[in-house]
Amino acid sequence: MPSDADARTATDFLHLEARLADEGRYAEWLALWTDDAVYWVPATTDPGADPNKHLSHIYDNRARLETRVKMLQTGVRWSQAPASLMRRVIGNVEVRAAEGGELGVESNFILGELAVQARHEMHWWVGRATHRLRRVDGGLRLAAKTVVLINAAEPLPNLGFLL
Amino acid sequence: MTAPAVDYTALVEDERVHVSLYTDPRVFADEMDRIFHRGWVFIGHESEIPSAGDFVTRPLGEQPVIMTRTAAGEVVVLLNRCAHRGTLVCAAERGHARVFACPYHGWTYDVDGTLLGVPYPGGLDAGFDKREHGLTRAPRQASYRGFVFASLGATGISLAEHLGEATKLIDRTCDLSPDGAVELTAGWVKHRCSANWKMLPENDSDGYHLGFVHMALFRTVRSQYQRVVGEEKAIKAVVRAWGQGHIEIDWAPGYEQPFEWLGGASDALTAAYVAAMEHRYGRAPAQQRLFEGPSHALIFPNLFLGETNVAIVQPVAVDECVHWHTPIFFKGVPQLNGRLLRQSEAGMGPASFLMPEDLAIAARNQAGLRARHAEWLALTRGLEREHVDAEGRTVSHVTDETINRALWRHYRAVMTGA
Repeated sequence: MPSDADARTATDFLHLEARLADEGRYAEWLALWTDDAVYWVPATTDPGADPNKHLSHIYDNRARLETRVKMLQTGVRWSQAPASLMRRVIGNVEVRAAEGGELGVESNFILGELAVQARHEMHWWVGRATHRLRRVDGGLRLAAKTVVLINAAEPLPNLGFLL
Repeated sequence: MTAPAVDYTALVEDERVHVSLYTDPRVFADEMDRIFHRGWVFIGHESEIPSAGDFVTRPLGEQPVIMTRTAAGEVVVLLNRCAHRGTLVCAAERGHARVFACPYHGWTYDVDGTLLGVPYPGGLDAGFDKREHGLTRAPRQASYRGFVFASLGATGISLAEHLGEATKLIDRTCDLSPDGAVELTAGWVKHRCSANWKMLPENDSDGYHLGFVHMALFRTVRSQYQRVVGEEKAIKAVVRAWGQGHIEIDWAPGYEQPFEWLGGASDALTAAYVAAMEHRYGRAPAQQRLFEGPSHALIFPNLFLGETNVAIVQPVAVDECVHWHTPIFFKGVPQLNGRLLRQSEAGMGPASFLMPEDLAIAARNQAGLRARHAEWLALTRGLEREHVDAEGRTVSHVTDETINRALWRHYRAVMTGA
């Protein structure tokens, strides 16, 4: 069982990460991750999905995460230039102790995105996120994040922003 | 009173096309009828359903179909519609079935479409013949190297006639396998776009946009496309029109190293692959294939051979479409699969580093076309420098609209029944 303080710190971390992503604070968002980070958005809701056999929407290591962020920072990634307006709500947060003193966090989210690149469409993104948080230098860093969208296998509009 | 028919001869000129072809719902309805519901359309690949009872469901134009493998091992394309009241008999995207059972009144069908059972048969009229009430098969179906095509038209040209010389484009990709076969087993990602479906094949084959639409990627990392965003005369890649609306970008003339199509590769990754290719095809042909890489080509109307991906163009409405893709696995070299998965995720799909820009711009095109002061889109680029090669294909600089012209001329022929 994680302590109440751990649970509070982990939840605060998720809220911070969400705000940085919503506000396009790319460098600060990237700084949350460890060097061995794995960021996975499967293309299916099948719990048996294997990123080494099945196609994913995102399966980033640290280098690819940096590419993702640098492209956004150029200002000419047209799927996010102009950038979408976003706010997400995180809830149903469950924190558990994981191996090596890490914290495993599961949560649900609803993200409203106004995609202003062409038709000004409102997109709703809904799913479940699993975070693995590591204690580094007295704080928490994000070692792994998996996001399973409820419509992962359906036709999705552009997902150039940080989910 | 019926509305006057759209005059496609007037809207598609040799060197310009009318904007209503992207915006008029009547045009979309005509396209579904003449291109997607009468002509040959790509459905899927035989490797997706390896065992008897395996199935996938797909759209064929606007119609739902199931591609299944029968007990006899045959691949069949069936309309996904109960013969009784029209219910979808299969709601899953893929899977394995012993029978298809309709959830409405319990009619059951063999995976080959044969009607097996009708509950409460006492109420059937005396002349009811189960053989006449199976799931409807696509009237025509044919495969080339595992790529399954179907036509809902009972008559028309054969698949061989439709593909023509473009079978060589499919060969180029399949022949990168030492077993001569590709496997599409990684699953599909579907990417929704707020634009007319024709913008996808046009953009997939457009060599002019790379340095602009994909500027963010080129500013961030090196990629195999770096050679086509330099000075115009230094770009060696070409476009080629193969007839019947099949069009190609060939990057190979600009390649300088083997495996540029794979984004470069270490000897450790490729040594066994090269050896298997040389063993199968001989040293020189194998080396040539590994240097030139797979096809980048549209097989009209909806199959895009996207180098190490296969993509499907799905029209949804006049201003909406979906781009499906899956990575190609080359049979006999499973050690490449991990690289091919990651390469696919880098290039294709809603969260990748290439296609989101293409589809964002397509949506901006669709929005911009609402400004109707100028009603025509000119397709004249490269008219002065294109040429016909010894095989009868029109070839030009990779940035030229040679292939747009070829695509639209074939479109006009199909839409006017010429």
